[in-house]
Amino acid sequence: MMSSDVYTARVNPSSMLPTRTRAIRLAAATLTLALVTAACGSDDNSSSDNSTEGSADSVTIYSGRNAELIQPILDQFSDETGIAVNVKYGDSADLALLIEEESAANSTRADVFLSQSPGSLGFLEQDGRLAVLPDSTLELVPEAVRDENDRWIGFSGRERVLVYNTDLVDEADLPTSVFELTDPEWNDKIGVAPSNGSFQDFVTAMRSSEGDEVTEEWLEGIADNDAVSYPKNSAIVAAVGRGEVEVGLVNHYYNLRALEEDPNQPSANHQFAPGDPGAVLIVTGAAIIEGTDRADVAAQLVDYLLGPVGQQYFATETFEYPLAIGEEPPAAVEAIEFGDVSGFSYSDLGGGLEQTRIMIADAGLEG
Amino acid sequence: MRLLSLAIGAVFAGPAVFVVWRTLRLGAALPETLSEIPAPLWRTVQLAVLVSTTTAVLGTGLAWLTMRTNLPLRRLWRVILVLPLVLPSFVGAAAFIAGLAPGGVIHDSLELVGISPPRRFRGLGASWLVLSAFTYPYVLLPVMARLVSLRSSLDESGRLLGFTATQVFIRITLPQLKPAILGGSLLVFLYTVSEFGAVQLLGYDTLTRVIYSTRQTNRALSFAAATVLLILALGIVALERSRRGVVAPDDRAETTTAPAVKLRWRAVPAFVACALVAAIGLVVPLLSLGTWARRGLVDGRVSLSELADPALSTATVAVTAAVLAVLVVLPIAIGSIRRPHPISHVSSVSVVVGFAIPGLVIALSLAVLTLNTPIFNRFYQTMGLLVLAYIIHFGSQALAGTETAVRAVPSGLRESSKLLEPRTIRRALRIDMPLMRPGLAAAGGLVMLSTLKELPITLLLSPIGFSTLATEIWASYEEGFYAATGLASLVLVAMSAVLTWILVLRPSEAVSS
Repeated sequence: MMSSDVYTARVNPSSMLPTRTRAIRLAAATLTLALVTAACGSDDNSSSDNSTEGSADSVTIYSGRNAELIQPILDQFSDETGIAVNVKYGDSADLALLIEEESAANSTRADVFLSQSPGSLGFLEQDGRLAVLPDSTLELVPEAVRDENDRWIGFSGRERVLVYNTDLVDEADLPTSVFELTDPEWNDKIGVAPSNGSFQDFVTAMRSSEGDEVTEEWLEGIADNDAVSYPKNSAIVAAVGRGEVEVGLVNHYYNLRALEEDPNQPSANHQFAPGDPGAVLIVTGAAIIEGTDRADVAAQLVDYLLGPVGQQYFATETFEYPLAIGEEPPAAVEAIEFGDVSGFSYSDLGGGLEQTRIMIADAGLEG
Repeated sequence: MRLLSLAIGAVFAGPAVFVVWRTLRLGAALPETLSEIPAPLWRTVQLAVLVSTTTAVLGTGLAWLTMRTNLPLRRLWRVILVLPLVLPSFVGAAAFIAGLAPGGVIHDSLELVGISPPRRFRGLGASWLVLSAFTYPYVLLPVMARLVSLRSSLDESGRLLGFTATQVFIRITLPQLKPAILGGSLLVFLYTVSEFGAVQLLGYDTLTRVIYSTRQTNRALSFAAATVLLILALGIVALERSRRGVVAPDDRAETTTAPAVKLRWRAVPAFVACALVAAIGLVVPLLSLGTWARRGLVDGRVSLSELADPALSTATVAVTAAVLAVLVVLPIAIGSIRRPHPISHVSSVSVVVGFAIPGLVIALSLAVLTLNTPIFNRFYQTMGLLVLAYIIHFGSQALAGTETAVRAVPSGLRESSKLLEPRTIRRALRIDMPLMRPGLAAAGGLVMLSTLKELPITLLLSPIGFSTLATEIWASYEEGFYAATGLASLVLVAMSAVLTWILVLRPSEAVSS
């Protein structure tokens, strides 16, 4: 290897023609192979799409919930009912934008939208992209965890908690209310995710229960306390684990996940007092897309997610709170009263989610 | 040829035109725009200037060391030093930060030498370091390709005049490399301004944050921010085009085989420099990813076999996009190098700015454009549209290398070869291709590596059920399934190394030496 002279590619084509030609043929063959493979691949996809999408016994889902969290229960639904399930995974907000564009072009592909948070569902609802859910579906959950206009329904819940580093903080010193985090003792110690959907939903819930003035004051207090911004919950949990910040405002299950990956990580969840705005339940929601001709199959799927099998799957496999009436919460988390859950409505709050975003930005938490 | 390059340019301009059209239609309020955009814009420009300057120096230096000197293990370095490009930036940055945690490689090595590790790693400095370490290959690959095809006779003359190796490099080689360096730095600049995942994780607020955080709640502002990004990109492309100097074909056909520069004692600092760059851009992230993957493999939560399908489809789609991207931009490159004309310039600018538009915006604009066009709507969410989107987004990466390739064919040689071989296709294959191969391989290589890790376009525009390694990495990372993230990332890096070696580096190397 060392002896080879790298100072090469001489401009003397005639001496190299045989090898060069062979290389070109090889390249051409590779190209052809790649193209053929790609063509076959797309053929496979389109033919399978045609065979399933056209028939009534299939359903197409755009899922903002990750495959890791939901594919197993979708597979089980498919096995039990014989209904084929096609899923496009992505970020909830991005998929909502895509549904918006498809719907605007009268060319919707999705029958069901599963969202990580109510924000993206509210976005689609205000433009009339979501269908009204059947009563039989709506009745499965308490009123508090579904849309007041009956266009989406919560199917699992995550509690907002304070994750903390067990090496740096004593649980006894942790606050019972999220409002105590504006105390100077927490200066430069808090991690937040101001651009993340579930943080924004939590702030919107606070606006709903405490009013805009109190919320604004709290946001400014957190910003003045030099809270550190992260893009998402999992990044906060990792930062708390590293000791970069001592505590962080997150959804409860991220730390349970992190401990499953690395049991030695010094982090734990702390629950705020029941009824505190910091302990609100953020729901993941399902909706049926307006204009789908498979609304019945779509509703069947949503009902399945809210049935005993679906709800216990979320409780035991993803550590989430089941929302359907009569279902038990997972063993790994403490039970909370449904009375503490706020089914706030975006339309009721002036400006909805955009007003929340502006308030977060104005407080100096974003950017 | 001009008509063809005009048509190609028009297709590439699609998303940009859409962004401007929608911005005008939604009409963001001016006071709002003025209060939300300037500060992040200024931060974006600062970061982009820092990163592109750093990578220009780093990429050029490393290319020269690995191509023109007797640096130990230089052929191995050529593969290793290209690889930092292949990790999706959000996972690269996350894995890098993980190295700073207690038990992480940076944390522990710093403690070993008695330095207390930083508590936080955030802001402009952190983003500059991480993005530079991940993006310098955008400069490295085109410059390596240029060095391979560069005539060495001028170097020889320089040496005869008594120049030292350094003087030869600065006074003779560097001016000839300028277009490749500028083209590469331009890619880095555009990558940096449209980057979102890594800068967010590193706590540095840029213009893409405005685009993302307002994409649902205030679409007018979101599109206004995208248009500002587009204008910034156009400005920087114009600047690059005015500074890159002569890009006519090389007119010197004669060559000599110059000996590799002997580094002697300088081989030690050169080797250390390569090792340091590889450590930051590759080794630190890989060690963190390895730790994550090991935990999952030990208790059997993850397995390699599940990744076979995504790996195969990733490789197929990336190689396809790479080959097609090079073929598509070739007419534009030929036009702008051999017969410069305003049309080819406009087309080439339209190809380049496609890289400044964030992938999410490209995906949405192509969705809107196809869904609302009667015949094209059947291509929505097909492999065809997905590959087209990759080509539009990454065509700029193919253009720089393709221009280098076109320049490598001397005009004189083309004239004389016409006499010897009248058949155009045979002539192209036998005379032009061998000379163009290093440039074309570098061009396709960049597109391939970028496609391998592409995320937002793949998620939105792929056929339902299609998954790549990047989507697997994203899905598992998003929810904190780090073992799966680690394993898929390691597979991605390994596969990229093999593909880079076989398809990009080997074709550029001498077959006969």
